[in-house]
Amino acid sequence: MEDEKSTGYKNQTYGQYRELLYSEYADGKFEATVGYHGEADRTTLQQAWDLFNDRIEAARQKVKAGEASPILYYMEKTLVTPMDLSMHAGINVWRVKRHLKPKVFKKLSEKTLKKYAEAFNITLGQLQNVD
Amino acid sequence: MENNTMMIDYKHRQAGHCESGATSNLFKFYGIEMSEPMAFGIGNGLFFSYLPFLKLQYAPMMSFRNLPNTVFHRSMKYLGMDYTVIKKFKDQKESMDALDRNLEKGIPTGMQVGVFNLTFFPPEYRMHYNMHNLVAFGKEGNDYWVSDTVMEHPQKISSEDLQRVRWAKGAFAPKGKMYWINSVNPNMDVKSAIEKALKKTVYEMMKVPFPLNGVKGIHWLARDLKKWPKKHGNETASFYLGQIIRMSEDFGTGGAGFRYLYGSFLKEAAEKYSNQDLLIASDLMGKAANRWREFTYMSARNCKNRSKPEEDYGKLSEMLHEIADMEKEVYLKLDKIKDLNG
Repeated sequence: MEDEKSTGYKNQTYGQYRELLYSEYADGKFEATVGYHGEADRTTLQQAWDLFNDRIEAARQKVKAGEASPILYYMEKTLVTPMDLSMHAGINVWRVKRHLKPKVFKKLSEKTLKKYAEAFNITLGQLQNVD
Repeated sequence: MENNTMMIDYKHRQAGHCESGATSNLFKFYGIEMSEPMAFGIGNGLFFSYLPFLKLQYAPMMSFRNLPNTVFHRSMKYLGMDYTVIKKFKDQKESMDALDRNLEKGIPTGMQVGVFNLTFFPPEYRMHYNMHNLVAFGKEGNDYWVSDTVMEHPQKISSEDLQRVRWAKGAFAPKGKMYWINSVNPNMDVKSAIEKALKKTVYEMMKVPFPLNGVKGIHWLARDLKKWPKKHGNETASFYLGQIIRMSEDFGTGGAGFRYLYGSFLKEAAEKYSNQDLLIASDLMGKAANRWREFTYMSARNCKNRSKPEEDYGKLSEMLHEIADMEKEVYLKLDKIKDLNG
């Protein structure tokens, strides 16, 4: 827990919050200390975010290449599956899956687009362009 | 309204677990000294369930604590307090108005929120996890002052952002859930509350006739863990293993953390009523928690080196079986305690 500048993190924004951790039991005493998360936790967090970032990057490339609609990119960016997205936006799951195709996406009505934009918490303009 | 600022004199204390921390702080506001482990223990926070058919962020879901609002609800019920829980609102605006009315009356109000859009939350923890709790205790213009026990200090959040997190969608959607204490029960019986809570926890961890809960659930997870590398390949197996650690360590102290919390609850109760059996149980629980932590460290090595696992999955699985047996011993011990005074 003491190695605060461990190299496990690529990004400096990770692990800068101190939390109260119940972390030890020795000699019949339970210790609670305010501190940073340990190495093990940070490793697994890094692992998760590596995977998420890879998925986001892959989705972006796909959208750029015209193989998928921007919905795929924003879906990965907000860490949801089509099933979750269907719940968030209130659109049937098979329709969500269909809207991942660029051809179908182009024909979507403004009303549907607005639902997506609200679910992703972005504007309509952002939804149509992936930067 | 001319005076838009209102603040309740509410003391923010950091805690290991969001809901028991909030409950303990609310008790403190009404003049009852109740530590976080005590609130956690009386509120039946301890739990285990493994839900392989549900996926959370691409890996099977498991939980080391009880469903949201159990801690607050049960601890209030067992202590006979006068409290209110509004499970859901129909309208988003109405839920915010209700919060404002409460703050005007000077009642600190707890809420269930989703963490994904929580603006002040550490970015690395912002996943779709809808079972977080915080307490609002003040309003300043358009901003609310909230006490989130994960953070070191009270935080400010704008009205729009608060509304968004209170209406986060998806699994376990909070739907604007609110809870608060109306008044304190003057002749509160802590002893019988602890007895009831112990009984309930033992029931939930050992006696529920469902194989994915409690001790049986840990055994099931251990059996599954062994099969992961063959079934899904090393990469995915390591990611799933990481999920156990993420669920057990990061999201609100988690598995080992909850075991430590429960252990210190048992110790506190044992000292209060000088009960020797409870002291032994707390010792066993502490040892089980230490074992959980060892499991975490060993599995983390696997996660670091994804394609070539350093530790054998069979060994990890055995370790989990052992932990399950250790925990079972605690519950068997607790099951025998009928009266705290001996």
